[in-house]
Amino acid sequence: MATFTLNGDNVTVEAEPNAPLLWVVREHLGLTGTKFGCGAGQCGACTVHVDGASTYACLTPVSAVEGRQVTTIEGLSEDGTHPLQQAWIDEEVPQCGYCQPGQIMRAADLLANNPQPNREEIVTHMSTNICRCGTYTRIVRAIERAAEEAGNEA
Amino acid sequence: MKRNDTLTGQPMTGMSAASREAIASSGGSKASNESSGASGGLATRRDFIQGVGVTLTVGATGVIGACSMPSGDSDDPGAPASGPAANDAVTPNAWVSIGADDTITIQFGATEMGQGSMTSVPLVLAEEMDADWDNVRVETVSRHDPTYGNPMAFGYYGFPIMYTAGSAALRGYFNAMRQAGAQARRFLLDAAATQLGVPVEELSTQPSRVVHAASGQTLSYGQIAAAAEVPGSLPEVPESEYKPRSEYRYLGTDVPRIDVPAKVDGSAEYGIDVQIPGMVYASVLRAPVEGEEPMQVDDSAARAIPGVTDVVTLPYGVAVVGETVEGTIWGKNALQVTWSENSRFRDTDQARDLDEYEARARDLDFSTGNPLWQDVGDIDPAFRSADRVIEAVFRSEPAYHAQMEPLSATASVSADGLSAEVWVSTQTQSLTAMAAADLLETDVDRITVHAMYIGGGYGRRAEYRQKDVEDALLLSRELGRPVKVIWSREDDVRDGIFRPLAAQYLRAALDADGQVTALHQRVATPSVLSFMNEPRWGLSRNRDGISMNGAQTTRYSIPNIRAEHVMVDRCSRLAAWRGVATSYTRFANESLIDEIAHTVGSDPLQFRLDLTRDDPAAQSVLEEVAQMADWSQPREGTSLGVALSDYGGASVSAGIAEVSVNQETGVITVHRYWMAIDAGFIVSPRNTEAQMEGNIVYGISSALKERISVNAGSVDQSNFHDYPVMRINEMPEIQTRALPSDSPPSGVGELGLATTGPAIANAVFAATGVRLRELPMTPERVLAALQEASA
Repeated sequence: MATFTLNGDNVTVEAEPNAPLLWVVREHLGLTGTKFGCGAGQCGACTVHVDGASTYACLTPVSAVEGRQVTTIEGLSEDGTHPLQQAWIDEEVPQCGYCQPGQIMRAADLLANNPQPNREEIVTHMSTNICRCGTYTRIVRAIERAAEEAGNEA
Repeated sequence: MKRNDTLTGQPMTGMSAASREAIASSGGSKASNESSGASGGLATRRDFIQGVGVTLTVGATGVIGACSMPSGDSDDPGAPASGPAANDAVTPNAWVSIGADDTITIQFGATEMGQGSMTSVPLVLAEEMDADWDNVRVETVSRHDPTYGNPMAFGYYGFPIMYTAGSAALRGYFNAMRQAGAQARRFLLDAAATQLGVPVEELSTQPSRVVHAASGQTLSYGQIAAAAEVPGSLPEVPESEYKPRSEYRYLGTDVPRIDVPAKVDGSAEYGIDVQIPGMVYASVLRAPVEGEEPMQVDDSAARAIPGVTDVVTLPYGVAVVGETVEGTIWGKNALQVTWSENSRFRDTDQARDLDEYEARARDLDFSTGNPLWQDVGDIDPAFRSADRVIEAVFRSEPAYHAQMEPLSATASVSADGLSAEVWVSTQTQSLTAMAAADLLETDVDRITVHAMYIGGGYGRRAEYRQKDVEDALLLSRELGRPVKVIWSREDDVRDGIFRPLAAQYLRAALDADGQVTALHQRVATPSVLSFMNEPRWGLSRNRDGISMNGAQTTRYSIPNIRAEHVMVDRCSRLAAWRGVATSYTRFANESLIDEIAHTVGSDPLQFRLDLTRDDPAAQSVLEEVAQMADWSQPREGTSLGVALSDYGGASVSAGIAEVSVNQETGVITVHRYWMAIDAGFIVSPRNTEAQMEGNIVYGISSALKERISVNAGSVDQSNFHDYPVMRINEMPEIQTRALPSDSPPSGVGELGLATTGPAIANAVFAATGVRLRELPMTPERVLAALQEASA
């Protein structure tokens, strides 16, 4: 049994303490936007936020998020309009799309801590996440666009 | 051998029987929601969502119901007074249905794996029909039905199959979509003429609307459909009556891909995301060596793990079944299995096997009796009278698809075992259904295949017998309930199906003027088709269109050409891979062309321009890419290499790589990559650009570092740490351009990938004077080649 906050809601889950957060979120709770890619923290497809920080859900036992705030792609924004999600649409980033929730969660963590990253900072931060379709050029453009638009509003 | 997957830690014990029952009885709902007022939110949002295959309404985020809504608004002043709507929807042909509510539903016979066909293919129909794209709903067909087969996938079975591969979706469906759209428009015009009582010649269309300009009357397509007589079969519309390109509203513009919004908010449903009421999970421990089977199974530890409900021995492995994914994985890792040790693959030794392939490729007297892959003129006299012969051997190791979504399938087999529903990311509804019918010894019409979004295909999901589907079907039949099987990444690699190991011997004959008079390419590689699709292989007359794809030389004016398939025994499981086989066939061919150019003292670009003198499209892409890269501009510290590659006969691409080589480490860095293509008429410019970028990334990644090795019957790699693929911090700058063309669309999904390997190798030669002839071009191989050259 584990109790934590998921996308703003308190949840209690009947799961073994060592059950990976990935499977708890996806299969126990049905939020399948968080993807299984490697199970080893090598691809970033399962990236969620725990207390705001990018975390590999596949390597995180559910007991480790007891009492903490977990955010998945479904909770990044109310209606899919986070500036990064909008930039992802505007730049038409996804191809197969499977890695993209993880990419967006990883990028959201970057912009939260560094609102105006340069290209080098972007690719260094995002190098944890694999996209096999090769959308990397667009990922960089979308992050730059989201940062720029946020800068314009500030 | 015991295979522990890196998915999870060890389980904690002590979960009560009561809590396990609660999980079982609550199906997918395992959360209690403590925040007041939020019930019905989190815990139930996705409970019991039944994936129905991918269905999307354009311009909306949700999926609407079937076309049985009341007829639409009637506030159109031009609309005639009419009685109550007779139809909820009208279906002029198999492809399109027009709802009284103005919704237009288009059937999609391919599958969406990131290539964008789910937008571009129905868009062709909508264009020809003059439909308002904002009111279009796309439905992926969820069964095998030749009606929706790709016309280009015709001939192997006697009917077209639904098969999304070979960059053939838009290309193959293009005319069928135009015909279906033109037919629907013609039907609407005729019906409107009757309803308005005016001659059809006086009518025209605007998006989803028929207009009678003389009277100012208009009817929406939905209004017409509501009152129209339901047609029988409609006559073909002659191609001369198709909409001219100058009148296109959508094709050739950047219409947003309809799958993108769901892919950024997490709601897109892939095969692995399916949840079915009453389903259980399964993880399968598979034989460490192909062809072997479990002899003794000790499952006592596995069965003791909370959540594990069953352990089922399969012909090729042992499945742990349970109520949670993690329980089945823990259970799988706790199995103790003794395997048979009788597989011929235990003798594999990749280095030795490749040497054997090479010996066969080099031995001109050795033939496996296959029909020649390509035979133009007569190479023998040309080689006998040659002034010079240039020859080389090229080697390439197996490559893995590394699609981001590991294999997963969900199946529900009926109690009598003769019907089944399957939910899976598949590149082919037809083959999935046909193979399922074979397995269950039933009729293909009794198999439903919900074709979900695909988390990467690249050929991984196009084979006849899809092992994830087989797992799910066998287990569901055995257990009498729906089963979802999820492969670990380790399963996906170790039980992967790969681009084959290959050794190629190439030689070229030159006359005294340095002109190429003959080209001979001998490809020693196993038959991929006989492994990945036995029924199709049986009908292929020993011509393997997968293994030999791209081995033909079609763009160069060389009078005598021979390409041969030296068929050798396979050493691994096999599959088509992105670009099919062009990544190794064109690597060899384009590297040799470069060698010839340098040998005769010609600029490699100019040499190719001379050789393509009879092929304006090939010349155009070469000239274009040379201009983009500023080919003749001297560089400091970097060098350029060029390559040309055909794909599928009609599309052609040219690529230029700018590289540097670290002489100390052997690391090749690709700084920039330029590519120009001619792929016929470009339906979706922005998506075409994305496909070109993807091909470049996939191609460079594989050319520089991707290798699978199979030794003693086992795959040595297991995850991304030992099968690294390109990451974002390794990206070159990329510039692409698609040339305008009036030809029909000819495919971009795999175009240009094959230029990357040879362009890089050719650039490395320009930088170092050393020729790299083995894929991948790892730092170790680069260093070895540099040392050999300096010795």
